[in-house]
Amino acid sequence: MSVPLTLLGLLEREPSHGYDLKRDYDTFFGRGKPLPYGQVYATLGRLARDGKVVPGEAEPGDGPERKRYVITEAGVTEFEHWLAEPVAPEPTLQSVLFTKVVLALLLGRDAEAYLDTQRAAHLQRMRELTELRRTGPLVDALLADHGLFHLEADLRWIDLTTARLDALAAEVRA
Amino acid sequence: MTPLIEARDVELSFGETPALRGASLAAEAGEVLAVMGASGSGKSTLLHCLAGILVPDAGEVLFEGRRIDNLDENRRSALRRDSFGFVFQFGQLVPELTAEENIALPLLLSGVRRSAALADARPWFARLGLDGLERRRSGELSGGQAQRVALARGLVTRPRVLFADEPTGALDSLTGEQVMALMVAAARDQGTTVVLVTHEPRVAAYADREAIVRDGRARSLSTGYAPGGPAAERVAS
Amino acid sequence: MIAFALRLAVSGGRQAVVRLLTVAAAAAVGVGLLLSTLAAVNAVGATNERMLWANSGAKSRTETADVDPLWWRDNSPEFYDGKRLLFIEVAATGPTSPVPPGLAKLPSAGEYYASPALAELIRERPADQLAYRFPGRLTGEIGDAALASPDSLVLVVGQDPAALAARPGAHRITAIATELPADCRSDCPATGTRGDAMTLILSVVAGALLFPVVIFIGTATRLSAATREQRYAAMRLVGATPRQITVIAAAESTLAAVAGTVLGFGLFLALRPLVATVPFTGERFFVEDLTVTAPQALAVLLGVPLAAAVAARLALRRVTVSPLGVSRRATPKPPTAWRVAPLLAGLAELAWFVGRRPATTNGQTAAYLTGFLVIMLGLVVAGPWLTMAAARAVAARTSRPATLIAVRRLADDPKAGFRSVAGLILALFVTTATVAIIGTIDHNRGVLAGDPQTRVAVEHGALAGEPPMAAAVPERVLAEVRAVPGFQGLAVVHANPDGLARDPSVPADWAVPVLALCSDLAQVPVVGHCAPGAEVAAVEPYGFLSLESQQSTEWPTAPITAEAAARLPVQSLYVTTDGSPAAMERVRALLSRSFPEQHARMVGDWGSAQQQMLAGWRQLADVVLLTTLPIAGCSLAVSVMAGLSDRRRPFAMLRLTGAPLGLLRRVIALESALPLLVVAAIATGTGFGAAAMFLKSQMDYDLVPPGAVYFGLVLLGLAVSLGIIASTLPLLRRITGPEAARNG
Repeated sequence: MSVPLTLLGLLEREPSHGYDLKRDYDTFFGRGKPLPYGQVYATLGRLARDGKVVPGEAEPGDGPERKRYVITEAGVTEFEHWLAEPVAPEPTLQSVLFTKVVLALLLGRDAEAYLDTQRAAHLQRMRELTELRRTGPLVDALLADHGLFHLEADLRWIDLTTARLDALAAEVRA
Repeated sequence: MTPLIEARDVELSFGETPALRGASLAAEAGEVLAVMGASGSGKSTLLHCLAGILVPDAGEVLFEGRRIDNLDENRRSALRRDSFGFVFQFGQLVPELTAEENIALPLLLSGVRRSAALADARPWFARLGLDGLERRRSGELSGGQAQRVALARGLVTRPRVLFADEPTGALDSLTGEQVMALMVAAARDQGTTVVLVTHEPRVAAYADREAIVRDGRARSLSTGYAPGGPAAERVAS
Repeated sequence: MIAFALRLAVSGGRQAVVRLLTVAAAAAVGVGLLLSTLAAVNAVGATNERMLWANSGAKSRTETADVDPLWWRDNSPEFYDGKRLLFIEVAATGPTSPVPPGLAKLPSAGEYYASPALAELIRERPADQLAYRFPGRLTGEIGDAALASPDSLVLVVGQDPAALAARPGAHRITAIATELPADCRSDCPATGTRGDAMTLILSVVAGALLFPVVIFIGTATRLSAATREQRYAAMRLVGATPRQITVIAAAESTLAAVAGTVLGFGLFLALRPLVATVPFTGERFFVEDLTVTAPQALAVLLGVPLAAAVAARLALRRVTVSPLGVSRRATPKPPTAWRVAPLLAGLAELAWFVGRRPATTNGQTAAYLTGFLVIMLGLVVAGPWLTMAAARAVAARTSRPATLIAVRRLADDPKAGFRSVAGLILALFVTTATVAIIGTIDHNRGVLAGDPQTRVAVEHGALAGEPPMAAAVPERVLAEVRAVPGFQGLAVVHANPDGLARDPSVPADWAVPVLALCSDLAQVPVVGHCAPGAEVAAVEPYGFLSLESQQSTEWPTAPITAEAAARLPVQSLYVTTDGSPAAMERVRALLSRSFPEQHARMVGDWGSAQQQMLAGWRQLADVVLLTTLPIAGCSLAVSVMAGLSDRRRPFAMLRLTGAPLGLLRRVIALESALPLLVVAAIATGTGFGAAAMFLKSQMDYDLVPPGAVYFGLVLLGLAVSLGIIASTLPLLRRITGPEAARNG
């Protein structure tokens, strides 16, 4: 998740205070992982340095940094470019799982037991997400779905690998 | 705690082909248990053995601590009628009957009077979002609607165990999720144990726990399952 | 394309082979029955043709030829053992006298020729019962060309020309009749069976026979329609045009129908001897007469496969429309109450004719037969509606799941439910009506006979109004009659030339009473008795051998002494016997020989022609029932099986959920038994109703309920049908096993 670009996107909506940005970010994207204030201001600072946002005048008030940030033409261009660009499909999990399976087979360990444990862990997570999508609002449900589909894809890979473990072992040990 | 329903070292062959080679599986009261496995792994056969539809060649099947695999066909039919419910993939509704009559059918089979049976069937329409479809025939229902009617039929007798074999197999994923959510919720409402056969992880994720059948043997993959506790509580905590 | 279709047809697996065989068998049975019916119609015509020669002596004949004339005398009506006996006497005046067909030459005086059946009787029966009746000796047999049936009793007696010419009723002819004489009111012994009525009756029979066959073909074509629809839909999906699908479907059924038609011709040839024994006209046919003409054969040969192709086209028309096949089950449009209209119209037609009997025979035939035809049509049309009405009535209040499922299906598609029993229903109607009509006629005849003693009597002599039989009866004849074993009593009936004790209000000759000595009358108590102290009784002219005879009748006293009456000419002789055919035929033979100008009469002879016809029709009704039953039963079984495989998944599911197999059995049994029983009740009811109206209208008889045999037969028919339904039930266990409920 790219925090600078997300903040740019939120600013594209309307000029905002750092505090509003953090609140909106947490609401929509922060699922259980709120954005620290420090990171918000550091990011905004970097964006200002690169000329993608312009900080407004400090407004009178109690708290620190009551500045309203405004997005620049360069910022809009970069954000729109990013939005239009497809995300590179990343086979992220495969590397770790795959490495473990191959290593287990190489070392003569019980790869099937490992895959079963992984499978159970995946399903446990899927159960939690299923419960979340059942009880939470639609935004949560859609997020949970996203996670579920990813986990399901992993599970399919686990199933397939389990079924072809013997063949894989033969090839690895050869 | 004694499991509500249990298979012990069940073996069964169709002719020369072995389908189960010593499968063991147990479900606690109130639990939703998913039985997973690839096509041809024997998971449906195991379900049929648990439900007393098929009689294993060897091994035991116990329900409430009593063996049911050695009962005669009539006793097992009565057991299925009174204590079990079923939801399958498709084609379960009697085409001549209306939706409400299909739901009331198990009650009629148990000798309940028609008016009483229909009265018992009616609340299910609101509960499953089927309002206004009471008089439709199966041909006039969508796949999801038909499956919900089948679900109501499986649960209308308040069975101890609901056996579901790929209940969403013929549905798209959104409709399938709706049916699963309704099924699990309704089963929990009335404390019905669910034995759910599926090859889809997303369907299995509705269960409290899963077992996997591979080459005719079942293996439990429970991770931190607390009997009787719905998964929601664990997520919340 | 057609070659491809044929390859598909035969490579379609076991199910396809079963379907092809079923259609072929149905077509074979249909063709066999159709040909038999056509042949029977032809045979009636042929039979009539063969007997035309016997009418050669009719006065109205105008054919002449330049040959030696032939003296011809028709000695009808004669009978033997209740059977009609054609008795012709001929005397040739020269070598060119015309010879009737079937004879190599004319019998000379003192010789006679007999038909094979009669010749056999003459040889087998004691001479004093039969052979003694005929003058001369048997010197040859009459060929088949002159006979209506192998059972015909025909006699051609050669006489001396001068002697024959002197006898009453003798004619000089110069040509043998080859067509029916213009006026045949009184002197044609062989008018034959009226072709129009027979054709109409046989049409009814053919309809009753063929209808179940057509239904059977339709059912068989629809058998496993689902799988076939799938196959055709798949072909449509990959681009086959509707026309190509039609060709494929039609080719398959037509192939089966062609094979069946060929088989049907074989079946007809095999059945011919059997069909010949069915007495459509009262006597069995010559097997050779049962033929079809070339145009008829061609029509059947082309028509039946064509009909099968059309039927296949209709049965599968849905598939040729949509490549997606037919997956959803919608409720078909329910039949409307209008379907009862033809049935009511038919009943109304018969009801209208009660008390308004048409004057002519043709009018009666038209009135009654169309009535029965309309009722039969009406039953078939009304059946689905009646089935639906009954099913709905039950469905509204049942709590039994089996009943609910069964009647719901019937109410949804009553046409399908009724179709399988339609054949049986027609058979039941035809049988019920026939049995009721024949039974009532028999019963009424029996009641009229009053005293069974009238059935053991032989009367020989002149009818009332005719000149007396003889001046006196030789004492030798009387002694011979009295010596016959089984003889019981004899009365000499005297003429009444002075008209003693006659009713002055009726001046006609035939109304003059005959006279009988009281001593004679006492010997034959069945005729009645004298007033106390009387010597001679004046008996009604037809008082002897009357079905109304009864012992309690007291005849008026004739004002004449016994001695004077005994000297009066003899009008006839009245003999009672023990009722054995031997005794009665011996008396007849004796009297016929002694008084050859007169005819013997027995109660049994009177009814015989009509009785034989009725017996023939009864047998026809039995044939209809026996043929229809198995065919209708097969339809029933096939449609029960089709209904089963349509619903194997839901049924298997029901079994899994704990529904006992017995419940599913009850569903299947009810689905077929309910329409069977409901419509059977209506068919028998209508049969009785139609018969009652016909009897009231035509004969003014009240319907007499038939006996146990009829009810036994009906119950047997129903039991067989229920048995056929039951025979499909083991299939239920197999196809609803757990594997049928498996997903996928």
